[in-house]
Amino acid sequence: MRVTVISPERAVFDGEAQAVLATAFDGEIGILPNHAPLMTVLGTGTLRITTTSGAEAFRVQGGFLQVVNNSVRILAEQIQGDTDA
Amino acid sequence: MATNRALKGRIRSVTNTRKITRTMELVATSKLRRAQQRVVAARPYAQALREVIADLVTPDLAERFPLLRRPLPPSKGGPARAAVILITSNRGLAGGFNSNLIKEATRRITALEAEGYTVELIGIGKKGIGFFKYIGRTFRTERIDIGDRPTAEHAASVVEELMADFAAGDLGVVELVQSSFQSVLITPPMTVRVLPVEAPVAKSEGVRPDYILSPDPVTLLEQVLPLYVRNAMYRGLVETVAAEQASRRTAMKSATDNAGDLIDALKRTYNRQRQAQITQEIAELVGGAAALQG
Repeated sequence: MRVTVISPERAVFDGEAQAVLATAFDGEIGILPNHAPLMTVLGTGTLRITTTSGAEAFRVQGGFLQVVNNSVRILAEQIQGDTDA
Repeated sequence: MATNRALKGRIRSVTNTRKITRTMELVATSKLRRAQQRVVAARPYAQALREVIADLVTPDLAERFPLLRRPLPPSKGGPARAAVILITSNRGLAGGFNSNLIKEATRRITALEAEGYTVELIGIGKKGIGFFKYIGRTFRTERIDIGDRPTAEHAASVVEELMADFAAGDLGVVELVQSSFQSVLITPPMTVRVLPVEAPVAKSEGVRPDYILSPDPVTLLEQVLPLYVRNAMYRGLVETVAAEQASRRTAMKSATDNAGDLIDALKRTYNRQRQAQITQEIAELVGGAAALQG
């Protein structure tokens, strides 16, 4: 599935992924391919994206996550690049 | 007629001016490139945000949101205050850039006042602030700290209190006067109505995906709408910076070209005069010699 992580300033991540693990407002949420359409508000926490070539991690604060047509979109005003997580 | 020495001095001075304008042109070109990249990089976020809101907003929801609600005009008892955010540059020498924006702002202020609003000004950039202070207006907020690299935090800090005032029903309208960066050569001023939010509408009806919404749509919209407002402000800042550099480049390019033309004309006059003087001196010598022989 296609995953895009976008901040107001730029697209932080755009690519194919196997799984997304995000911190929603009420706890962690995992998205696997062919998830049903979903919109949720994100909390403060780590966003992990598993790709065939490894994993990416970001610190995200606020924003929201949308799943539609097997593509995941994460929009947040505060996204910090790879943490060591 | 100007003496040779005066001409020489003018040639030198215009040459120096050309050096300065050429340099400013090059600086603006490089700043423009970076500003343009930021405009392009900001597009995916705005696009995604629009699509998400279009999927979320339904007409019955619209009535319940402070940021979406359309207040009555002052003549019908609505809030009597309106805010106009004016973005200009901190520096001049950018052709008609700042005066175009100021003209647009004046037009909007007049229109809003005709509707019965008391207009509060939020000034970003020295040029616009300077002008409106000169004609005797006061500002609600003055920002000259946002330079060539506006960030999302800058945008948020400008609109935050306006959103609060609007949601509380104190403000009727919030408008943003900015440049619309259509291309390097086309950057007209324009006004964006920031509040109330004009919710984007879904492209096609009926195929709206059946979302699982968590939490409920009301809470979701409450989170997403401020993002939308802040993003409108951010885009305004970014586009205006790009437009500023674009018009400075154009202005400095034509200044450089004009200086070149001027130097050519002055050099021609200078050389003609020099030649005329030499010819005259020879003629005097020959005339003098002929008189002695005679």
